[in-house]
Amino acid sequence: MKTSAYLKKGKEKDLIDALDTKARLQGHVIVPCLDGDTVTFKPAEPGCTPCFSRPAVSPPKGVIYPQSETLFSFKFKKDPEDARRTLIDLNDAIEAPDTIIFGARPCDARGIAIIDRAFSQTDTPDPYYLARREKTTIITLTCPEPSTGCFCTRVGCGPAEKSDSDVMMTEIEDGYLFEALTDKGQAILKNPVLEDGTAHEARAKEVQGAAHERMVKEVGETDTRPVDPELFHSQAFWEKAAERCLGCGACTYLCPTCYCFNITDEQVVDKGERIRSWDACMFHHFTLEASGHNPRAAKALRLKNRIGHKFVYYGEKYDGIIACSGCGRCIRGCPVSMEISSIVAALKEGTKT
Amino acid sequence: MNIEKLKEIVRTVLPSVDVVIGYKKGLDALHPVPCFVTSPDEIDALVLNPACTHNLAAYLPSLKKKTAVVVKGCESRTVVQLVQEGLIKRENVVVIGVPCQGVLSARKVLNAINHQPVVEAAFENDAVIVKTRKAETRLALNDVASDKCLTCQYPTPVLSDHLAGEQVESKVDEQAAYQDIRQFDAQSLEERRAYWLKEFDRCIRCYACRNACPMCVCRESCIAETRDPHWMSQKATLNEKMMFHMIHAIHLAGRCTECGECERACPMGIPVAKLKKKINMEMKELFGYEPGISIDDKPPMYTFKVEEEKIEEHKIR
Amino acid sequence: MSVVEGKELRIVGFLCNWCSYGGADTAGVSRFKQPTDLRIIRVPCSGRVDPLFVVKALINGADGVLVSGCHPRDCHYSDGNYYARRRLEMLKRFLPFVGIDARRFHYTWVSASEGQRWQQTVTEFTTLIHELGPTPAFPQDQTVLKEVRA
Repeated sequence: MKTSAYLKKGKEKDLIDALDTKARLQGHVIVPCLDGDTVTFKPAEPGCTPCFSRPAVSPPKGVIYPQSETLFSFKFKKDPEDARRTLIDLNDAIEAPDTIIFGARPCDARGIAIIDRAFSQTDTPDPYYLARREKTTIITLTCPEPSTGCFCTRVGCGPAEKSDSDVMMTEIEDGYLFEALTDKGQAILKNPVLEDGTAHEARAKEVQGAAHERMVKEVGETDTRPVDPELFHSQAFWEKAAERCLGCGACTYLCPTCYCFNITDEQVVDKGERIRSWDACMFHHFTLEASGHNPRAAKALRLKNRIGHKFVYYGEKYDGIIACSGCGRCIRGCPVSMEISSIVAALKEGTKT
Repeated sequence: MNIEKLKEIVRTVLPSVDVVIGYKKGLDALHPVPCFVTSPDEIDALVLNPACTHNLAAYLPSLKKKTAVVVKGCESRTVVQLVQEGLIKRENVVVIGVPCQGVLSARKVLNAINHQPVVEAAFENDAVIVKTRKAETRLALNDVASDKCLTCQYPTPVLSDHLAGEQVESKVDEQAAYQDIRQFDAQSLEERRAYWLKEFDRCIRCYACRNACPMCVCRESCIAETRDPHWMSQKATLNEKMMFHMIHAIHLAGRCTECGECERACPMGIPVAKLKKKINMEMKELFGYEPGISIDDKPPMYTFKVEEEKIEEHKIR
Repeated sequence: MSVVEGKELRIVGFLCNWCSYGGADTAGVSRFKQPTDLRIIRVPCSGRVDPLFVVKALINGADGVLVSGCHPRDCHYSDGNYYARRRLEMLKRFLPFVGIDARRFHYTWVSASEGQRWQQTVTEFTTLIHELGPTPAFPQDQTVLKEVRA
């Protein structure tokens, strides 16, 4: 059984193509690609330019948990037997093709692992999410160096963290080492484009260790201190922290661990769809009630919810786990550079920002 | 951009207002952030340099306080436009104008330095020197300036109670102000369509462009989100994304002050400010009107003439 | 039967209640032959026509949009059509910028007595839309994967 494999630099595209041409995967290998000067995860189509040198602006969570998906479609029709009755044609088939995410970062993979709990560890596991999750293989790239805003090691993730991926891919001098971490990963390593990797295992381990050390040096060790409860419930703290927040949804939509959604029916005359789409606790509408009352009308309360969910409430529900992978996307993508990392540090410190 | 002069002004203004909105050090040297000064000991934290890009006037309509705000040329137009439309009261705002030589596009700088984290940056008259862990790069301000600055007609604020620095003349001929739009329009219909579909495809509907826009004042009642009226669905399809950007652009017809915040705020790098600039160009050609120049003007869509000089009846072909 | 050959296309017409809707009615009562591609939406005044009505129709698959109101100086509400004129002119100039053919959108003025003019307008516009053909389709999200792009 192969547990590691090697690929020469410059052959990335060959491997992507080889994974892609297996008919069942056509168009379902998702790679970070350059689109203008923005890097996003996209199906590896001919002409796309894969980019591994910096993290994508948005995470690949949409592969498993799309921005909007049709839960079912329906059509009303007259009963031919009895004109007074209306029949409903319902289509609730779940589409879940085999998919490979190629070149995710460890924080992306951690994000998916965090969302997993919310959709599976409940009384009603989510069939839509789980069907796609089951069919997805995650190939993760060791982060060579920290980007602006990264803080993964502070929340217990890391640039070479392996626990949430199927394959770990590490860039070494003139190639990449692939390590299989799960059975799905083993299957990937059988690809004929890949060579044997045994000779490079030691070097990859060094690179991973160095990457981890560099990140720790840059942003610090895992911060296990609890959030100061008094400060967490201080309105003044949140008002100050949210002062410059614009109340858009960039942070949540770029977040690999945000999973809140809305369900709406879109009906035109006699047919329609029930849609599940991303929603964001940073939007005013998110908690707006039918009466017109809004329990989180102020942006300070919404920010408190967003950070509280990740660093307090999620942990209370799922074994003290932090629902943040430290990818820094919300920080880099924020129009006013709101820093979740420093807000959380202040909460743990018990000081005012 | 004279920071000492600015601090001096803020010191004199602060006692007479509830809050002064300026910039302070932020995420890194390329990303200063808006700050809200309420006490004199916060004044020393103020910064002012070409990386200070945010339009601080965007905070004015929702702040129910007497506010002093630091604005550059384009942003002073925002204040004028907000007053003109009755969205803020002139007497509740103290305008601290900053003559501006152009601001940076952080996106352009990051592209030039290969997206390396910025350790430090120094600003000179016409250049910025960016230091990363690996190298130090000198970039001409013109090469990394925001697109809006390349055709800016109003570098000096059109309205200010205090001016921090010497007046700056526009370096761009009035005729050239819309050259980029004319160039874009010279493409075939198919090319323009393909361009925008590719750009809108990246949209994640986070509404950062809308929320950063100082003239988008509907806020919680934006028709992009309301269920009644039901203008848009929550689907993430290309036509919905395009529809949203059409809503934003058309609702700003004759109101956009070209501060470029929509484009800067977009995490996906969609050049949405172009849409508004195109409409502004038409407003100027049709009605000789530029938004945010005079408090006593009326936005062209809020008024009419019985005989329109520039509008002729269209033939079907 | 349409007077225009070929498959019927989708043209949306926004007509003001007081003049153009009456004009269309006059054309009908006078039994003028007209193409049948147009679907009329009656609005109180051309000033009620939000430019976004037109955009939404065009983005969502309409092949043409026709807006018609009272002639200038004849508006039932005295100045609704003056506002409409400014907004619709802005729109007509804006559409090509985003790659929408401005010929697919026409705005005009037809009074309640101008049945003949209405017939001409509809026939000419429908003929033009048929020459232009169906509006280019949007790349739809056939798969979940398209949405990954977000």
